Amino acid sequence: MLDVILHSFIWRAIIAIAIAAAVSSTVGTFAVLRGFSTLSAAITHSSFAGASMAIICGVNPLLGALALSLGFSGLTAYASSANERKADVMVGMIFGFSTALAVFFLSMAGSYASAAWSFIVGDVLGVSWSDLLTLLTVSIISVGSTCLFYKEFKFITFDPEAAEAMGLRVSAYHYLMTTLVALFSVVAVKVVGVILATVLLIAPAAAAYEFSHNLEGMILLSLAISMVSGFFGFFLSLAVNLAPSPLIGIAVSAAYLLALVASPKRRRCGDLARHRVVKGA
Amino acid sequence: MRPTIIVEDLSVAYGDKLALEDVSFKMLEPGFLSVVGPNGSGKTTLLKALLGIIKPIAGYVEVLGYKVPTERYKLRKHVGYVPQRERVDPSKPVLVKDVVLMGRIALRGWGHPLLEADYRAAMDALKAVQMEDFWDEPYAHLSGGQQQRVLIARALAVNPQLLLLDEPLSGVDAVTQEVILRALKAKADEGVLLIMVVHDLNPVVELSNYVMLLNRRVVAFGKVWEVLSEQLLSDAFNRRVSIAKTDGKLIISGFDHHA
Ligand SMILES: Nc1ncnc2c1ncn2[C@@H]1O[C@H](COP(=O)(O)OP(=O)(O)O)[C@@H](O)[C@H]1O
Ligand SMILES: [Mg+2]
Repeated sequence: MLDVILHSFIWRAIIAIAIAAAVSSTVGTFAVLRGFSTLSAAITHSSFAGASMAIICGVNPLLGALALSLGFSGLTAYASSANERKADVMVGMIFGFSTALAVFFLSMAGSYASAAWSFIVGDVLGVSWSDLLTLLTVSIISVGSTCLFYKEFKFITFDPEAAEAMGLRVSAYHYLMTTLVALFSVVAVKVVGVILATVLLIAPAAAAYEFSHNLEGMILLSLAISMVSGFFGFFLSLAVNLAPSPLIGIAVSAAYLLALVASPKRRRCGDLARHRVVKGA
Repeated sequence: MRPTIIVEDLSVAYGDKLALEDVSFKMLEPGFLSVVGPNGSGKTTLLKALLGIIKPIAGYVEVLGYKVPTERYKLRKHVGYVPQRERVDPSKPVLVKDVVLMGRIALRGWGHPLLEADYRAAMDALKAVQMEDFWDEPYAHLSGGQQQRVLIARALAVNPQLLLLDEPLSGVDAVTQEVILRALKAKADEGVLLIMVVHDLNPVVELSNYVMLLNRRVVAFGKVWEVLSEQLLSDAFNRRVSIAKTDGKLIISGFDHHA
C-alpha cells in the first residue's frame, strides 16, 4: 500500500476529497438547517445531466455540470419565492427531467458512455490536475461567499421573517444559497458521483447538528466528520481494492447514524417530552 | 424622519382571499398602538403590509415618512420586528448573543464585521429585558418566555424608530409579561412608535395610547377610551364581550379566545 501512496493520482484524490469536505461542511450546514436536502438531490441530478450533455458535445463535463445545475438551482429558487407548493413541484420536476436528460444523453454516448458513467459513481482516482483546478476555483467561490455573507445567512436561516422585516433582501440570499448548492454538486459529482453527492452534502452536517449549539461549532464539526469519514472510506477502498466512492458514501452515512444514536439532543428532547407529559397529568 | 404612520384604504389579498379590506388609520405622533382581533383577522398581515413585505392590492401606506413599498428598504433600517414566537424554529443551533446580534446585521451591511458598538447595543438590549445572564446560552435551552424576551431584545438592539411586535405576550407568565411591558414602556417614552398585536387587551389598557379592533376591516380605531365599548368589542369578536371595573382596574372578558 505504501508504494500506492506515492502515486500522484492518490494525492489528487486526497485533495479532491478535502475540497469536497470543505464545501460540504459550509454549504451543507445551511442546506440542512434550511431544509434543502431534496432540493440539493434534484440539483445534483441536473449537474449529472449537464455533464453527460457536455461529454456528447465534446465540452469539459464539469462546465456542462456547472451550467445546468446553476440554471436549475435558479429555477427552484424562483419557484420557492412564489410559494412552497410550487417549489416542491419544481424540485420534483427537475429531479425527473434531469434524470431523463441524463439517460437520453447516455444512450447517445456510445463510446463515451464510460466517461459519463464516471459521473454516476464518481471518479476520485481519475481526477486530473485541470479538474482539481476547477474544483478548487469552485470551492474558493463557495466557501468565500459563505464567509462574506455569513452573518446574513445566519439570520435568514434562523428567522427569515424578521430578517426580511429588518432590511435583509431574503430572496437574493435565497438565490445565492441555492447557487452554492449547485457549485457543491459540481464538485461532488466528480468526487463521489451523482448518487452519493447528496449524502456527502447532508450527512456530515446533519450528524454535526446533533452535537452543536451554535452555527460555528456545527460547521467545524461537520468539516471534521466529512474529512474523517471521507478519508476513512477512501483508504479503506485502497486497502481492500474496491471502488472508493461507495465506501466514502457508506462511511459518511455511518457517521450520521452513529451521531443519531449518540445524540445528546435526542435524549434531551425525550426528557422534555416526558417532562411535559408529567406536567400535563 | 417623521414619527408617523398613514394608512389609507389598504387592501391585501392572498390569492383571491381578502385578508385586509379598506384599512385606514393615522398615527401622527409617537404612541403605543395595540391591535386586537380574532384569529385570522389580518393582524400579522397588517404588520407585514406596513413594511412592504406583502404587496397590497390597493391603498396608500406611508411609515416614518417613507412611502411603502417604494422606500421599504430605507424604512426597514429603522424597524425592530418581533415575529410570533411559534414562527421561529427554536431547534436551530444559535446562542442568545447570536440572536440579539442579528438585529445589528442589516445595519452594518454584508462584508462588514460587527463592531464593539454592536456588541454593546446587544448587551444593553438584553439587560432591558433582564436576560443579560444568558448571553452564551443556546437559544434552544430557554423557556418560551425567555425566548420571547430574547426576540424582543433583538428588536430593541437596532435602536428602532418603529417597533412591531406580533403577540409578544402570548404564552408568557405574568412576571415575564411585566418585564416585557416595562421595557416597551421605556421605548415608548423615548418617542419610539410601537405597534403591538395582542390577544388580550387587559395587560395593555393602561399602556396603550391607541387601540385598533381589527376583523379584516377596522372595526374601531382611536384612543383607548373611545374604542373600549362593549358594543364595539362584541362586534369585533362576534361574541358578547363585557367590561367591568374592579379595584380601579378595567377587566375585559369574553373576547379572549384562549379563555
Ligand atoms: N401566506 C399566506 N397565504 C395564504 N393565506 C394566508 C397567508 N397568510 C395569512 N393568510 C390568511 O390571511 C388571513 C389573515 O392572516 P393573519 O394576518 O395571519 O391573521 P392573524 O395574524 O390576525 O391571525 C387568514 O385567513 C390567513 O389564513
Ligand atoms: Mg398572526
